[in-house]
Amino acid sequence: MNVFDDIQFYLFNHHHYIDEPADSDKYESTWVTYPNANFRPDVAYELYQRWTREMLLAEQLGFDAIAVNEHHQTVYSLQPATTVRAGYLAALTKRVKILVAGIPINLSWPSRVAEEYAMLDVMSGGRMEFGFPLGTGMEYWSNAGQINPTTARDRFRESLGIILKTWTEDGPVRHDGQFYNYRYLNVWPRPMQKPYPKIYIVGSGSKATVDLAADFRAGYSIVFTPIEQQLKAMANFREIAAERGWTVQPDDTIFTVICYVADSDEEAVREARPHIEKFFSWMHRVPNQLLSPPGYVSRDEFLRRAQSAALSEGTKATWDDMVSIGRIICGSPDTVADTLSHWAQEAQCSRMLMVLQHGDMPEWKAVKNMHMFAKEVIPRVRARATGAVAPEPVFAGVK
Amino acid sequence: MAAYTRETLSINGIETVVQIAGEGEPLVYLHGAGTVTGFDALLALAERFRLVVPFHPGFGASADDPSIDDVHDYRRHYLDLFDALELGQISLIGHSLGGWIGANFAADHPERVRRLVLVAPVGLKVDEHPTADIFTIPGPEIGAYLANDLSVFEGHVPVPPTPEFLADSYRELTSAARVLWARPYDLKLSRWLHRLTMPTLLLWGELDRVVPAGQAPVWAQHIPGAEVRTLPGAGHLVFDETPEACEAVAGFVGEELTV
Repeated sequence: MNVFDDIQFYLFNHHHYIDEPADSDKYESTWVTYPNANFRPDVAYELYQRWTREMLLAEQLGFDAIAVNEHHQTVYSLQPATTVRAGYLAALTKRVKILVAGIPINLSWPSRVAEEYAMLDVMSGGRMEFGFPLGTGMEYWSNAGQINPTTARDRFRESLGIILKTWTEDGPVRHDGQFYNYRYLNVWPRPMQKPYPKIYIVGSGSKATVDLAADFRAGYSIVFTPIEQQLKAMANFREIAAERGWTVQPDDTIFTVICYVADSDEEAVREARPHIEKFFSWMHRVPNQLLSPPGYVSRDEFLRRAQSAALSEGTKATWDDMVSIGRIICGSPDTVADTLSHWAQEAQCSRMLMVLQHGDMPEWKAVKNMHMFAKEVIPRVRARATGAVAPEPVFAGVK
Repeated sequence: MAAYTRETLSINGIETVVQIAGEGEPLVYLHGAGTVTGFDALLALAERFRLVVPFHPGFGASADDPSIDDVHDYRRHYLDLFDALELGQISLIGHSLGGWIGANFAADHPERVRRLVLVAPVGLKVDEHPTADIFTIPGPEIGAYLANDLSVFEGHVPVPPTPEFLADSYRELTSAARVLWARPYDLKLSRWLHRLTMPTLLLWGELDRVVPAGQAPVWAQHIPGAEVRTLPGAGHLVFDETPEACEAVAGFVGEELTV
């Protein structure tokens, strides 16, 4: 069995709110404090329709899964309630898996998350996967007084434990913890998939989240991190899991890749670059203070981030920086397929979460990118499977 | 002028560093939510008192204790620390966050506190003059909130700030957030302030932008016989900004002492 035998592609869409005002330079942040007087429901309605079209297209094009996530108080995302979105998409799809990655569980109640996720799994006929993020630092400003970022990681760990307990142990069970107490934990419905749907800890490669995934025997999904760091974190994850006595399988890790495919490398960069730059300069415009509320990371992790600002701050990095650290792969089908295959091989990872819509990219480009990826890249990668036959180009006219 | 000597004690397993200078009646200073400017400005008090300046757990030279997440955890920490230092009755100064700790300490253990000085204390909710939310003040602006005279930061804050300096500040802000994140006040504090029966001085910088001097009369209203003294031209870091702060404390604490 090689890593390509069961390689699967997830289509992820940020669900950006695309409506940058003419005076956008005056805003220091598009998260947390960006004035919601600028929100226009008519714009958002059209965008929800568009994002739905793209998510459904993924199923038609043969992607294995679609993925949604959650952020709060930001133009970055129109999904502050990711299970609402997932329920909508589950009703409109038949085949694809749906990765919800996911509710920052500290912002909800563990019992409620367990219920909502189980509901989705049953309603979708067992097509769900779940990613558990701590939530960005920004989410903790949106919930200022209620959840203390200094205890976020301990609370997260307890909450995840409660969710898995109520999914696996017959209830009612009692839970007496540091942050939560349940007299009768007895969620209804319970998930269709047994013992429970595939889960991933969502992190950016820090030791704290890797440890957590290893402890819970969960998968690990890395978001929004340069590829070198993703590779390092996955190696680290495999090592720590081995110390805990289990072996990480290729489907236990998910890569996140910012990608654009066109006929040639030059055309891909030309078509994608302005939108990816918009993604970093506008959608991901976040002051450092909001990125790291007090106690969200340790002093040492804070120091590590402060010392490598060029890597951590997308808004300040140049295009060449971002390409050279592997944050982005834009190119011809051969370039993209070769690069992804190399990463999959190196990380022994068979799950690729593809970001194919970028910043303010118009629909035609995003859709073209999805077609190119599905028809030209996926077959090239799958051709590396044991005993596979090299594919013919699907679109005769493309090459 | 006197200089500090350092003592390191283990209090409930947490390495706690205390700076001590001078001879005489013990005068303890509980610092605020940051230690960036150090405590040399207090040394004038060591001319007359045995000045004791502990670092709170999670601040400065003391070790971290993430289990301290409540002002009363600090209050009890100081019961243990004062016992370990064999301090019987003391006079107590509490600045800012230290003022909140000090007010609780004195209210709960009045027999331990001969005289109390609360310097721009946090802890009360005063709607007309709210305490600034230090967590939302952008890093580059925080200096102007803390002091009216920005020269107090010279030699303490590297320009531009180094990653190590920022990380140390972040560590202290984290310790502060453990007790202050939800709110920098206790809605029930005012009902217990009548227990501050020892002579009490409320000392404030007139231009304080963190804990506005407008809060002083509200504290005074709840503390029997409290004296209020406002220092013109000074901000939140009164001891760094004007020698009058130490003079006011020395005058008040030393009032009944025979030299």
